[in-house]
Amino acid sequence: MNTKDHEIVFKYTGYRREDFSVCLGCKICASVCTVNDLSLNVNPQELLMKLFVGEKIEGDHPLVRYCTSCYRCTTACPWQIRIPEVVRAVKESLGVESRFEKAFKKSLSIWGRVYEPFVVAMTALDLLKGGYIKYMPKWMGYAGFHLPHKVKRLKPMNASKGSNPSEKGRS
Amino acid sequence: MEYGYYPGCSLTGSAKKLDQGVRQLCKKLGHGLTEIPDWNCCGALEYGDRNELVSISGENLEKARGMCKEIIVPCPACYKNLKDADHDRSFNILSPLELLSVENLSQIEQKRDLKGQVFFPYYGCLLMRPEGSSIKNKNIMEEAISAFGGDINGENMKDRCCGGNQLFLNKWATEKLSTLILGKSKGAVVVFCPFCHMAMKTFAVGRKVIYLTDLLLYVMGENNSL
Repeated sequence: MNTKDHEIVFKYTGYRREDFSVCLGCKICASVCTVNDLSLNVNPQELLMKLFVGEKIEGDHPLVRYCTSCYRCTTACPWQIRIPEVVRAVKESLGVESRFEKAFKKSLSIWGRVYEPFVVAMTALDLLKGGYIKYMPKWMGYAGFHLPHKVKRLKPMNASKGSNPSEKGRS
Repeated sequence: MEYGYYPGCSLTGSAKKLDQGVRQLCKKLGHGLTEIPDWNCCGALEYGDRNELVSISGENLEKARGMCKEIIVPCPACYKNLKDADHDRSFNILSPLELLSVENLSQIEQKRDLKGQVFFPYYGCLLMRPEGSSIKNKNIMEEAISAFGGDINGENMKDRCCGGNQLFLNKWATEKLSTLILGKSKGAVVVFCPFCHMAMKTFAVGRKVIYLTDLLLYVMGENNSL
């Protein structure tokens, strides 16, 4: 990741570089981070600092790979920084989304909704290799099935891309 | 009272049970639900571009404009996104949990009780955080279960993360996080989030995992709710 990629993260999140200068380095985000329950030793504050000073962030950073969007960091942070959204923006800017996440977005662009059977079909190989098949009977026991329904969209997908960043309401 | 209704994608498939439970419970409480016509996906947690996410979610509010001011949104991810998209607070976005209170629970015609049974009310993340898009009464599930005589367990774990959104990315992570929560709680797991429901259903061994809606319908005498 270079500085240009960082600019995309700022544009995506609506945060400005200086918004991260307020970080006190208290590491309370690290102490509550769910990713640390996985023994992966992450410090979300370090990611904010990398963005602030323009240091490279690797796509296989454990926080980028494993952030669960639990928002425990945001609630604990003295500045309520929405770190999961920053991580998500980093992930997208680095183009390291999984096939599952791509299938999710593809479904949304086709039908306007996530059609789960489509996502399953698009990721069938991963589900097979990942040992998910054994859970299928359990999941099918409570899931509903329907044919896909294409909804009318008011705006074409990606309509917001390239819009004026100043319109963002990050306070 | 009449409400707009935004089911969200998972409630048409993997969380159909939550959809059915919410509709049935609202009917019993005397609330009418009208689905927002042609609602689209809220974007869940899959978009890094905040403008794009707000635009996708906000489209649903445009579709609801003129039809209703109060919208019931059961899925916590949809609930958060629709709240975030409602910049000028022109709508009242509500979780079905916010329709419940000790007062109206006491008016429910009770056919069964939960005495002698232990429950673990598990909220997960997005009903509890971040502040500004979380539910107001963060004890409502405990209050509902206690109102009908059930015992509560696992209070320290009620807002921990099950890792549900990692289930199809890093299964081991979801398994570890869910198992951690299950290990520090006892009794039937009572959930309200489709992510949590799926994660807990997948990894709970010998434990019931149920939506609160189904538990309340059971109390009201419904035979097939659990």
